[in-house]
Amino acid sequence: MNMKIALFIPCLVNQMMPDVAIATLSLLEKLGHQVIFPEGQTCCGQPMTNSGCFNEARNTTLKLLNAFKGVECDAIVCPAASCLVAAKENFHEFDQSQEAQDVINKLYELTEFLHDIAPIASFKHKFEHTISLQMSCHGLRMLSLATPSESMGPQFNKVEAVLQNIPGINIVYPAPRDECCGFGGTFAVDEGAVSAKMGKDKAHAHAATHAQYVVGFDPSCLLHLDGMIRRQLLPIQTRHIAQIIDAAL
Amino acid sequence: MYQSKSHADNATIFCRDENRVDWHSKALWNLREKRDRAAASVPEWEQLRQLGSEIKLHTLSHLGDYLCQFEQKCIENGIQVHWAKDAIEHNAIALKILSTHSVKKLVKSKSMLTEECHLNPFLEKHGIEVIDTDLGERIIQLNNQPPSHIVVPAIHMKKEEVGELFHQKLNTPKGESDPTRLTRAARKHLRDQFLSADAAMTGVNMAIADLGAVVVCTNEGNADMGANLPKLQIHSMGIDKIVPDAESAMVLLRMLARNAIGQPITTYSSFYRGSKADGEMHIIIVDNGRTDIMQDKILAESLKCIRCGGCLNTCPVYRRSGGFSYNYTIPGPIGIAVGAQHDESNTIPWACTLCGSCSYVCPTKVPLDKIIAHHRRLKAEQGKLPFGKKYYMPAVGKLMSSPTLLNCAMGSARLALKVIPHSLIKPFSGAWGQYRELPVSPKSSFDTWYKQHKASNKEAK
Amino acid sequence: MSHNTASKQAILAALGQSSINQLNQKPDLSGLKSSALLQADLINRFEKGLASVTGELVYPDDDNSFDLLKGNVAQLISQGMQVISLVDGIQGNQLMPMQPHELKHIDYAIIQARFAVAENGAIWVDSEQLNGINTNTHRVLPFICENLIMVLNKDNIVATMHDAPEKMHLHAGDFGTFIAGPSKTADIEQALVVGAHGAFSLKVYLI
Repeated sequence: MNMKIALFIPCLVNQMMPDVAIATLSLLEKLGHQVIFPEGQTCCGQPMTNSGCFNEARNTTLKLLNAFKGVECDAIVCPAASCLVAAKENFHEFDQSQEAQDVINKLYELTEFLHDIAPIASFKHKFEHTISLQMSCHGLRMLSLATPSESMGPQFNKVEAVLQNIPGINIVYPAPRDECCGFGGTFAVDEGAVSAKMGKDKAHAHAATHAQYVVGFDPSCLLHLDGMIRRQLLPIQTRHIAQIIDAAL
Repeated sequence: MYQSKSHADNATIFCRDENRVDWHSKALWNLREKRDRAAASVPEWEQLRQLGSEIKLHTLSHLGDYLCQFEQKCIENGIQVHWAKDAIEHNAIALKILSTHSVKKLVKSKSMLTEECHLNPFLEKHGIEVIDTDLGERIIQLNNQPPSHIVVPAIHMKKEEVGELFHQKLNTPKGESDPTRLTRAARKHLRDQFLSADAAMTGVNMAIADLGAVVVCTNEGNADMGANLPKLQIHSMGIDKIVPDAESAMVLLRMLARNAIGQPITTYSSFYRGSKADGEMHIIIVDNGRTDIMQDKILAESLKCIRCGGCLNTCPVYRRSGGFSYNYTIPGPIGIAVGAQHDESNTIPWACTLCGSCSYVCPTKVPLDKIIAHHRRLKAEQGKLPFGKKYYMPAVGKLMSSPTLLNCAMGSARLALKVIPHSLIKPFSGAWGQYRELPVSPKSSFDTWYKQHKASNKEAK
Repeated sequence: MSHNTASKQAILAALGQSSINQLNQKPDLSGLKSSALLQADLINRFEKGLASVTGELVYPDDDNSFDLLKGNVAQLISQGMQVISLVDGIQGNQLMPMQPHELKHIDYAIIQARFAVAENGAIWVDSEQLNGINTNTHRVLPFICENLIMVLNKDNIVATMHDAPEKMHLHAGDFGTFIAGPSKTADIEQALVVGAHGAFSLKVYLI
């Protein structure tokens, strides 16, 4: 089923990890979807609302929402789980109109979209590597991309389900499996010492799996882990799930 | 203690000894793993959590009625009931009861409420000797410290440190650090205290409204040894401890020890529905800020907590910053939830990545991450933002809301990352560059690339 | 008796302004009770539950644990142990003292269980059992003794805690307790030590 998709590229991805956005665009086009990139996208407001500063978040959130209002599309897809969660919550917080709700109803995180809405029929290329999955918190516990390790409820894992059909791929997990990497937005600077220790532990846990890549769906966590991995000189690299999928299509 | 410092400053001190952080984190993670196994062994676990949450919400929404029913039933059972608005009143009531019976020595079993009320120093000031009898509590009492965890209060101490403390205070052999032998020494020491105490005081895990009974859970047996020897027994409880009936208590009892330490139930779960023969039983019902919390419907859910400590064990920040970094009697996620208003440093709501693990671990589904985020908003509204946020957040908000401004700023940042040697940037990049490598600068932003890509695509067509 | 009624009124008044939805219904818990299970299955589950809390089940193949207990008690007494029994037909060598504190020398206390819970090995004892054979005993007995022996009728095992309330017999003014294994602590570096303040061991004789 070919769809018209609007890309939601959060500011961090736009500015610091454009390759993730390019891979997202590319893979969606390879899957036969028509992809557009609405102009005027700003920050989702998360750095402010996560700090309790709702007044300061209002303008940027509403501008981002405006960028999508009235845009003709079947889905709005975002390759960053945490920003997507914040956008959903903040759009609703600052605009309770039907128009806003229409935008919210179309919002999907990339993995979620590829699992629930438009599954990938087959992959063309092999990816013969071991990857260690970074199950970032907001995608895991707020978007329910998989059953968190704390939950004894029904077991599912959308990330693994999307990736496991790539020929040759070997998926492993760090131990502990889904502990926070310590990024946490401004937490990384407000609580530098604890954030760094969490990041260091996470980076070492990924490296201990002997995987070649840490793969995740949340660019901000990957950026944080990348900085840690390079500081710790660990033999592993970060990749976004979009980059892995795009290369295999 | 590090009273008025920020959580971040306290945590930075704690993090200086990395081996100790690893040791502390692992000990608590061990409890989380035990909890996972225990929870997985109960097929209806998630159903119990849902029921636990509903029971507590229902009780809280009819709390006035249930408190009155509880009091009435207690009186019928010959129990004396006291009401205390706050810590000062609680302590005064306790002192009055103890003085009436000329109590010289009081044995206490673990009660976070009496910690919250700072009862021990108050009674000691009035000439009453107070002995904490839970082993962990006794250790920290001898060490002159508050608890660093609500279930395992001495989790911050290594066995060698306990050994040295016992050598000084209980005369154990120098260098003795074997947990079994140290526990034996404490048993002997505390048994003398039990046998010579004039009164006992315990906390309350649950108070059953339709029975007029309190439930007290321990693994060591200290609450029951204490309460059942002297004539006088006193139980202090927060108003949030009420459950409607024994059936409701069972739902919570099935989860309490499993979620706390991975045990199917505490060794002793005792139901006191009246005093022993010739004895006297008192219950002090305490508010101390709980009715304030109930005025805010998001914060109110924190009163569903049954104090299992599961959220502390799973919290990646608590495990790496220690119980003394929170500026409140109760540390960790639940400590932030119920203690943030008392935090003069206004930083503890930010001692959290909002990862949400605690909310999924919680046996009564307290939405801890939502409550913590809400505390940040309340602090912001009260103009009590930490870390200079008050000054830089409006600027960030302005910057982020303008694609042009943001592009300019990030463009210069990318340029700076590219052209200036990182050794020069690092000192100015704050906590990020102190612990991590700075990001590798991409060539351009996505939107710039997209415009070029779209243009070249059109040309190709 | 109720004290500090002014504070009581203040608390109740504050609760009247609470923001919590008054419509939160009490959930129906009746579905949690267990369906009937085979006795052998319950015994099996209980043995596992008891072992998980470091208690020990005595249930010989010849089904004659009462005589076995009698013999074991006689042996304990011959070894010079101080034994007190509240179980009909089992004779200890100590009488119930006037003061609870005098129980501190008891090596073994033998108590009748009212019922046990399979899922966690917990055994319920209430005032009626503690008062035993018409003796007015002390509540502290199962906590102060060095070792605890319980006698449990095999018809009196329930599957989970949800089945417990209707069997508890907790009358007004009474005391009752679930005891799951011997006393234990892990307060020093998480190392499990059995025998904190209470019993060092718990044996359950199933009859």
